[in-house]
Amino acid sequence: MSVLKDRSVMAKDLEMYSATRLEPDYVVQLRQRALELYEALPVPQYEKSDLTNRRVDAFTINTTPPDEHLWRPVAEPYIAQHAEAPLLVIADGVLVYSRGLEAAAAQGVIFKSLQEAVVSHPELIKQYLHSVVPQDENQFIALNSALWRNGAFVYIPRNMMWEAPLQMISVTTVGGHGTFVHNLILAEAQSQVQFVEIYAAPPTLSDELHVGVTEVVVQDGAHVKIGTLHDFPTHSTNVIVRRAKVLRDGQMDWIAGEVSEGYTVMEFGSVLEGQGSRSTSHAIAFGSKRAHFDLTSRMVHVAKFSDSDTTARGVMQDQAEAVYRGLTHILKGASGANGQQSEKLLMLSPESRANAIPMLLIDENDVKCGHAASVGQINEDQLFYLMSRGISEAEAKRMVVWGFIDPVLSELPIAAVREAVESVLERKMA
Amino acid sequence: MSTSPVLQINDLYASVEGKQILKGVNLTVRGGEVHAIMGPNGTGKSTLASALMGHPKYEVTGGTALLDGENLLELAVDERARQGLFLAMQYPSEVSGVSNANFMRIALNARLGEGHEMPVLKFHRELQKKMKALSMDPSFAERYLNEGFSGGEKKRNEILQMTVLKPRIAILDEIDSGLDIDALRIVAEGVNSLRGPEFGLLVITHYQRLLQYIVPDYVHVMMQGRIVRSGGRELALELEQRGYDWLKEELGIVDETVSAGV
Ligand SMILES: Nc1ncnc2c1ncn2[C@@H]1O[C@H](COP(=O)(O)OP(=O)(O)OP(=O)(O)O)[C@@H](O)[C@H]1O
Ligand SMILES: [Mg+2]
Repeated sequence: MSVLKDRSVMAKDLEMYSATRLEPDYVVQLRQRALELYEALPVPQYEKSDLTNRRVDAFTINTTPPDEHLWRPVAEPYIAQHAEAPLLVIADGVLVYSRGLEAAAAQGVIFKSLQEAVVSHPELIKQYLHSVVPQDENQFIALNSALWRNGAFVYIPRNMMWEAPLQMISVTTVGGHGTFVHNLILAEAQSQVQFVEIYAAPPTLSDELHVGVTEVVVQDGAHVKIGTLHDFPTHSTNVIVRRAKVLRDGQMDWIAGEVSEGYTVMEFGSVLEGQGSRSTSHAIAFGSKRAHFDLTSRMVHVAKFSDSDTTARGVMQDQAEAVYRGLTHILKGASGANGQQSEKLLMLSPESRANAIPMLLIDENDVKCGHAASVGQINEDQLFYLMSRGISEAEAKRMVVWGFIDPVLSELPIAAVREAVESVLERKMA
Repeated sequence: MSTSPVLQINDLYASVEGKQILKGVNLTVRGGEVHAIMGPNGTGKSTLASALMGHPKYEVTGGTALLDGENLLELAVDERARQGLFLAMQYPSEVSGVSNANFMRIALNARLGEGHEMPVLKFHRELQKKMKALSMDPSFAERYLNEGFSGGEKKRNEILQMTVLKPRIAILDEIDSGLDIDALRIVAEGVNSLRGPEFGLLVITHYQRLLQYIVPDYVHVMMQGRIVRSGGRELALELEQRGYDWLKEELGIVDETVSAGV
């Protein structure tokens, strides 16, 4: 993979980019260092995903403002919903719409674009950016770090129980420039917040590389819920890492709706660093057309009495394929840890493929670990049963599929994400 | 379609996984009639029911089956149901995530046809009434379809569906298994409430007990994939008292199939 053109040219372009955005020096340096790391790091190898034939190098830095006629229709359904919730709309890396930020700010809650935050809150950014996902983790992360265009910054002060979900919608309207989004969520001790991130694009989007990083720091006793809906079209290559560091008695809940039709490699989960910390994850993946999913939920138990619970449902139709890895890693010293996971995948068509791989890496004796994984086709007897009552085959299939997803869908702890996933599935299900 | 229904099965052959199970079944069920099919385990009773309903595993290899003169075998499963055929299954499937009430409403509306759907409130009122008649707790409406239901609860739920859908011809496959005596009476009442000239019934059972509540006009014995003997209700009593061996002997049937052990 040679993503970038000549490095010295790229370094110049990047400097220009920083300059037009009036970025502070530390950001310019961060980007330049990432560019060097990018050069030095090896190409990441994914066991189940081959990126060699994906057009991941066909992009250039772009500063043209996004066309409202393109981003509006994509963002509008989300803008229309939940008017009470603060919202950032970012199109092609530019903040194009926002609401409810002042009300949040009045309570000490900072919710703004990362582009603004690097200027207004340099001390927080310097301390926490890449504190959870290191800049040199792999080549894609370095690329994101060098070329990030925007993202959301969330800061919840100590003891603040913030109710309305903070939402960010990232729309990519023009392909070929890379969708590099970086979100940073900081929840101080005993605080509480929900963050919703939605990634969408018009179906006509041409070849596009999307590298997304979401970093979360959950301080002592804080509770963070993050819901994601990722809906990118066929010609997209998506490499995404979402990771939280959870400190003592903190809780992190992940909700992921993966409905992209492109090529997606996504890892999400928590590093449970504090004693008694907890994390749950609920994931729903729906693959249609030639979608490829390589999804890993990753729960790392560092501390004693840490607890994780992972649930996933995947449905593949057409020629879609999915690999779902449930990785529970319990490190030495994490005694009393409990890691549970359950993943079920359903294939609706003869050409679809699905694979569930539970991985339990356990370096400590005194722990509890459990997993349940299944992959199957739609049950013939269930279909027969429903049809024998006069329900058409298409409707019966829909009922079985909804029934398969519903136990996870109905439990999704953020209503906005649940509704969004529902309406997308409604549209995509053949 | 307010005329009296008629199901005509002619020389029906069917196989499952390449194994020939039905070997020439002849039977006619008309509106107003109750037929019972008895017979040892594994002789093809459920196969007949599944083949008529159109389960994809059961391949019809010969003969015909007509409902009101129309060739059932050419219809998809759901079309057969909408023509008025109903099968209460020996082992009903569980469908997670689909509420019982919602399922029945969709099924009923499919049967009533577009433009004739039943209003939601009316449906729920009637459903609750019917559930009450079957002594089912109202909570069963919102539970996932058959999921975690006991054997007896599943059977009641089959009858509930039948009373909601009001079929023209119904086949009840061992509806009595897993029911205690009170439940049996309640279920039989539910079935009998549908009886009339516009409703024909085929009951598959091992037990005379059920037939005391749902009194048949005809009793048939199935062995080796065929109906080998037909008679009136007294035949059921005789089978219960004497088992099947005398009949096998009379017919010269030698096979490994165990007797029903009634
Ligand atoms: N889905 C299937 N796959 C394989 N074999 C089957 C299947 N269904 C039925 N059979 C076989 O066909 C034969 C007839 O089975 P069937 O269920 O029709 O018997 P039955 O008369 O209903 O018996 P019972 O009184 O035990 O319910 C048996 O040998 C059975 O094992
Ligand atoms: Mg049977």
